[in-house]
Amino acid sequence: MQQSRLVFHEEIRKNKFYSILMISIVFIVLIALGYVIALAIGGDYFFFILILAIIISISYIVVSYYKSDKIAVASVNAKRVHADNPDYRQYHHLVEGIALASGLPKPKLYIMESPQINAFASGRDPDHAVICFTTGALEKLDKTELEGVIAHELSHVANYDIRFMTLTAVLVGMIAIISQIFLRSLFFRSIGGGNRKDNSNAVFMVIGIALAILAPIIVALVQLAISRKREYNADASAVKFMRTPTGLIHALQKIKNNQEMKVAGAVAPLFIAQPTKQKEIFMTHPPLDKRIDRLRRM
Amino acid sequence: MVLTWIIIGAAVLIALLFFVYYNKFIRLSHQIDNSLAQIDVQLKKRAELVPNLLASVKGYMKHEKKIITEVTNARKALVGAGDDMGKKLEAGRKLQSALKSIFAIAEGYPSLKANENFLHLQQELSAIEDKIAYSRQYYNDGIMSYNVSTTTVPGKWFAGLYGFKKREYLKIPAEQKVVPKVSFD
Repeated sequence: MQQSRLVFHEEIRKNKFYSILMISIVFIVLIALGYVIALAIGGDYFFFILILAIIISISYIVVSYYKSDKIAVASVNAKRVHADNPDYRQYHHLVEGIALASGLPKPKLYIMESPQINAFASGRDPDHAVICFTTGALEKLDKTELEGVIAHELSHVANYDIRFMTLTAVLVGMIAIISQIFLRSLFFRSIGGGNRKDNSNAVFMVIGIALAILAPIIVALVQLAISRKREYNADASAVKFMRTPTGLIHALQKIKNNQEMKVAGAVAPLFIAQPTKQKEIFMTHPPLDKRIDRLRRM
Repeated sequence: MVLTWIIIGAAVLIALLFFVYYNKFIRLSHQIDNSLAQIDVQLKKRAELVPNLLASVKGYMKHEKKIITEVTNARKALVGAGDDMGKKLEAGRKLQSALKSIFAIAEGYPSLKANENFLHLQQELSAIEDKIAYSRQYYNDGIMSYNVSTTTVPGKWFAGLYGFKKREYLKIPAEQKVVPKVSFD
């Protein structure tokens, strides 16, 4: 028991470290891109656009951050279920139990109509958290499996993953916007004719263009890698709350039989298992087999 | 000049550490007290549900006087345990095992098993059992991080300074976690 505890504590610590490492990479790319572009076009007017772009993207993010729970719930057409509804009493009891084990306040509970087994959590902090299960999950999973999935979702809440992934999305979004503005401004400048002749700029111009094209792709891939790390992290924390990986392992094995689900791209990373199938590098979640394997080793 | 700044910086840092550690111990103590209060809440709920349960089974279990008295007595012990958490937990555990016998006996009464009210109470009581187990777990987690931070360096020095002592885990035998077959249909 003591041994396995150490392992998941270690796992959580390692995953936190990787998340920080990855977000630093994204941040460094952002600064490098801004710097090279500033050198390429010579400062002042690009600086103005940069600030404007940052203000726009931040205000966009702030709104989506404060509404994250409502947006997620609305986009999948989820229904709130209350504790006095006898059909969902057990669902409430299980969530209350895991909330006690994790020391979190009880989140609001929702269900979405789908025969597939899936669930997601959202909300900017534990006080505004929501948890949503598909009707398929409530029907097909038994008690310990449901507890495992609930523990995974509450771990996302406890680890502030929604906040973390929003922060990553801001940075990635900003890089995309800056690259776009730069590439478009080049287009307009070439129409206007190259009035400002300066050879030292030419080199930075080439580097700038290359960066502007590559940076958004690179950071988007890093963002996905972070998302996958957070999944491992939530699995490890779920074991901490449950004291055993069995329930979650069985649930993930049942989820392997899932068909594809149609959900909006922005909500996909929140689910316990990727709703659609893709190559690993483009996935928001690690492959189920790898997750099951790691859980078995805990 | 540089040296003075370094000294000032170090002094500020040390002063900050004093605050950080004091707050850490206080926060963990609150967490521990709060999880104990959660266990208490669940034990109270359990005691409150018992009379309803007995009322719903009385009509059926006329020949099971012994087990009914056992449950009644265990409930009395729980209600009368006062503020001693150890006693309360022990009484709560006895009550739970008595309740389990009732549920086992109920298996032999198909009409009772079909009783909506009885089923509801059975579900509530088994959920309470889980919740007590989870609250205990959270309590012991809190004790663990509290004890780790009061016994490792530098927390140990601050703990000694502020007079925070090592705290004990809940020693009462844990309630057995049963896995009842429950489905959502």
